[in-house]
Amino acid sequence: MRLSRRAMIKDGMVVVSAGMVMPAIFSRGIASAKALAADNTHAALAASDRTLIVVQMAGGNDGLNTVVPYTDPTYRKMRPTIGVAENKLLSLDNRLGFHPNLAPLKTLWDQGHLAVVEGVGYPNQSLSHFQAMDIWQTLDLSGNGREGWLGKVVSGWVDNDGHPFKVMDIGSQTAQALQSISKPVPTLTNVQSYRLVADPSDRADKGNARVQALMKLYNTYPKSSPYAALLDTIALDAQEGTNQLSMANDAYHPAVTYPSGPFGAGLKVLAEVIVQGLGLRIGYVTLGGFDTHSNQVQTHNTLMTTLAEGLSAFYKDLVQHGKADNVVIMTWSEFGRRVEENGSLGTDHGTAAPMFILGNAVNKGIYGEPPALNNLDHSGNLKYTVDFRSVYATVLDRWVGASSKDVLGSTFDVQNFLPAI
Amino acid sequence: MSMNEQPTEPWHGDQLAPGYAPSQPQSVPSPATQTSARRAGGLSRRKLFIGLAGAGAIAAVGGGVALEQWVQHGESKPTFQGPLAGNAQIGHLLRRAGFSATPQEISSYAALGYNGAVDRLINYQSVSDDAMEQRLKSLNLDLTKLQNQQLWWLLRMAWTQRPLLEKMTLFWSGHFTSNFHNVGKTRERMITQNQFLREHAFDTFDNLLLGITADPAMLVYLNLTQSKKNAPNENYARELMELFTLGLGNYMQQDVYEAAAALTGWHVIGQTTTSQYLENTHNNLTKTYLGHTGNLDYKDVLTILVNHPATPWFICRKLFTFFAYENPSDDDVKPLVDTYVKSHHNMGEVMRTLLFSPQFTSEKAYRSRIKSPTEFTVGAYRALNIQSDGVGLPAAATLMGQGLFDPPNVAGWPGDKTSSLWLNSGTWMARLNFIEQLLVRGNGSSKPYQPLDLQGIVNQNHIDSPEHFVDYFVSFLLDGKLDQDREANLVDYFTTTDSATHKAQQITLTNGKSYPINRVRGTLYLLMALPEYQLN
Repeated sequence: MRLSRRAMIKDGMVVVSAGMVMPAIFSRGIASAKALAADNTHAALAASDRTLIVVQMAGGNDGLNTVVPYTDPTYRKMRPTIGVAENKLLSLDNRLGFHPNLAPLKTLWDQGHLAVVEGVGYPNQSLSHFQAMDIWQTLDLSGNGREGWLGKVVSGWVDNDGHPFKVMDIGSQTAQALQSISKPVPTLTNVQSYRLVADPSDRADKGNARVQALMKLYNTYPKSSPYAALLDTIALDAQEGTNQLSMANDAYHPAVTYPSGPFGAGLKVLAEVIVQGLGLRIGYVTLGGFDTHSNQVQTHNTLMTTLAEGLSAFYKDLVQHGKADNVVIMTWSEFGRRVEENGSLGTDHGTAAPMFILGNAVNKGIYGEPPALNNLDHSGNLKYTVDFRSVYATVLDRWVGASSKDVLGSTFDVQNFLPAI
Repeated sequence: MSMNEQPTEPWHGDQLAPGYAPSQPQSVPSPATQTSARRAGGLSRRKLFIGLAGAGAIAAVGGGVALEQWVQHGESKPTFQGPLAGNAQIGHLLRRAGFSATPQEISSYAALGYNGAVDRLINYQSVSDDAMEQRLKSLNLDLTKLQNQQLWWLLRMAWTQRPLLEKMTLFWSGHFTSNFHNVGKTRERMITQNQFLREHAFDTFDNLLLGITADPAMLVYLNLTQSKKNAPNENYARELMELFTLGLGNYMQQDVYEAAAALTGWHVIGQTTTSQYLENTHNNLTKTYLGHTGNLDYKDVLTILVNHPATPWFICRKLFTFFAYENPSDDDVKPLVDTYVKSHHNMGEVMRTLLFSPQFTSEKAYRSRIKSPTEFTVGAYRALNIQSDGVGLPAAATLMGQGLFDPPNVAGWPGDKTSSLWLNSGTWMARLNFIEQLLVRGNGSSKPYQPLDLQGIVNQNHIDSPEHFVDYFVSFLLDGKLDQDREANLVDYFTTTDSATHKAQQITLTNGKSYPINRVRGTLYLLMALPEYQLN
């Protein structure tokens, strides 16, 4: 029943998206998985159980105060008031140190589970939040892209096994990175409200008859009507997902106390889905507030704490549940900030910034080159040293098991923060 | 200046020096000609609007035609003939230019004809909203709290007799964004800004820009208040161009620097909801901005922007998308742009052009957008004439993805531009659960909860059959437009009884037959859960 319904919806999609070309990622993914299976059965099996968690740091994180080039005298000169004091930094090597509030991440670094990719960006940055976010999420350097890079991966995953949570986004709006031409992504803020409330007068059947009638009305909504595919799929995802998630929620007991606030709560939902084996391949969560044009020290301190404590709790929870080997976390932000502080104890929009890659599978280290502070572009911004697409390529090829060439449209050098399969 | 000192009427064009300018940037006169608005002690926000007029030497400032003058032109247009039949046309108008309506409201607007209905919506001053203001005041809401601010506005929308004014204010709040969490400790600044946007909703774009530049919430939110003449903060300058006026691609990074320098001078006053211009904090150096050179200040920057050819296209495209349909063609937008230019940037006139355009009432526009969470919550509350205090509305709208006064970022709500972004599995369930709460407990705080009085509705409207019940709600919730087989599905649900509901509360139709409450209420729930009802 479920399979045939899925198949029908898929047909509906094909009609709706006529003229759009379905990416070949999936078929190539299968091919490469089969090739891998022949070579190395273990790797292929492991690939199917892997999860990528993407953490968006929205607003433009100040990379220079996150991973601080503390021995560079230019840093002190450019940031006389908002620079992070050297004696408080958590040194990684003789050039770079973490912001003090990243201590939980420093622990993971010391344990060998964290990689930093320095100087990530792309050519001709416009310093617009929204164009930058579009580019990072859709890969279209004109900023006019529609489909998300993860959406391209997702749309290749035709669901034949009743797993509505292969992909999950935490929030009230699906991130652009996850927008696909054929598959809305389950999106939620918390598990408790991810269910349909029954009418008290329907106590006898817990609202089942009404839900059945509802699904019939969605099922029979004419396929040529406005937003038909979207509405129909959402209703079906919701109906399937709500039971699975509810059961998972009853069974799941976090092994750690997550920090309060929406970021920690969101990570907890993702952990729950992973721990309870709901088939999550890609999870997405956003931490906002990084647009620190003024009085940035206090704001940024708090954000660093939220980020580090949240990720650390998430990682520990996965370890306790035996899932840490299967999960890689990648952080990104649409840009870093201006090297020189502004007159409002803050920083204006910048360019290149570091990314974090976290997980047991990760090769600890600093990848890419920290951009020089004394060789800036005409806006006083850093010159990027690593193309963000090469980070994506690494994650896609070496972790997600999707063809980076198909997703990204061309070939990019991979980094060694993840081992070659 | 306190909130009460704000201008309460749209700015009158007769205060303005004459001189309609074509929409090309003009050279900006030398600073010496602008001194009339400069005073050593600083410029209060109240003086701001007169200030620009006084600086009449800035030839490029477009004049504003007062809204009253415009609507009182009195030329009788022939009755507008759109492709949509009467009921659907008025229903469409009241959803887009308002927040849905009761059967009584629809009738009263329908009686005016389409033209008259648009007139009544735009000419809002002729309709008293005292009852709403009184009702709202009696709630004594503590407006330092986000949830109360949201409730305050949602109830305004639900209770107003000026629905387009509130809808237009909603549009502006998603355009000239600020966020409750980033306006300093004085959170009432968000209300001050909201009142400004309401009071000037149909004013000239010039006045909207002047007011928002000096708006206390905006000054903090985009950091203009902290901008120093020797180290200007870029934040407001960039978003002013990228998001409020020109759009990306019409300026360079150098223009951001120059505008930031020119815009220095405005500051909030302490922890108040007021602001002032301090001449001695303004950067007096020569700037070159979008091809204009001089000791430019905020008035010059805004003058250049309102007259820049990209501005009307940017703002009119956004307006058309919000009110009519997405991805409009240049031909769709051009009449609005022409009106912007001809009317000296009067947004009331632009709205009138939009609402009278054949596109607005076209089949293409009809049900072409997903209801926003505000449209969904307020619309249901309003159309069903719910009488609760509505305290559940803010949380419901937030869960659906739209917390008023709390947009996701400075670009506002993405769903305003692409309405499908409002919908995903989580927000869909939030919508349905809101309907559930509304029908069962009225979304209010009073205990015992007040369920929707279905028996009263049945009696009042002489509903004598399940078919009639469905027809009645379809008539005003869906313009009477629902496929027959889908109506039949709803009737089936209404008439199917199960043993468990035998002893339950019953609703008795006027033909004497009784039906269990769960089926009756469930039918209305299903109607409002329909895909069709998600559309606006």
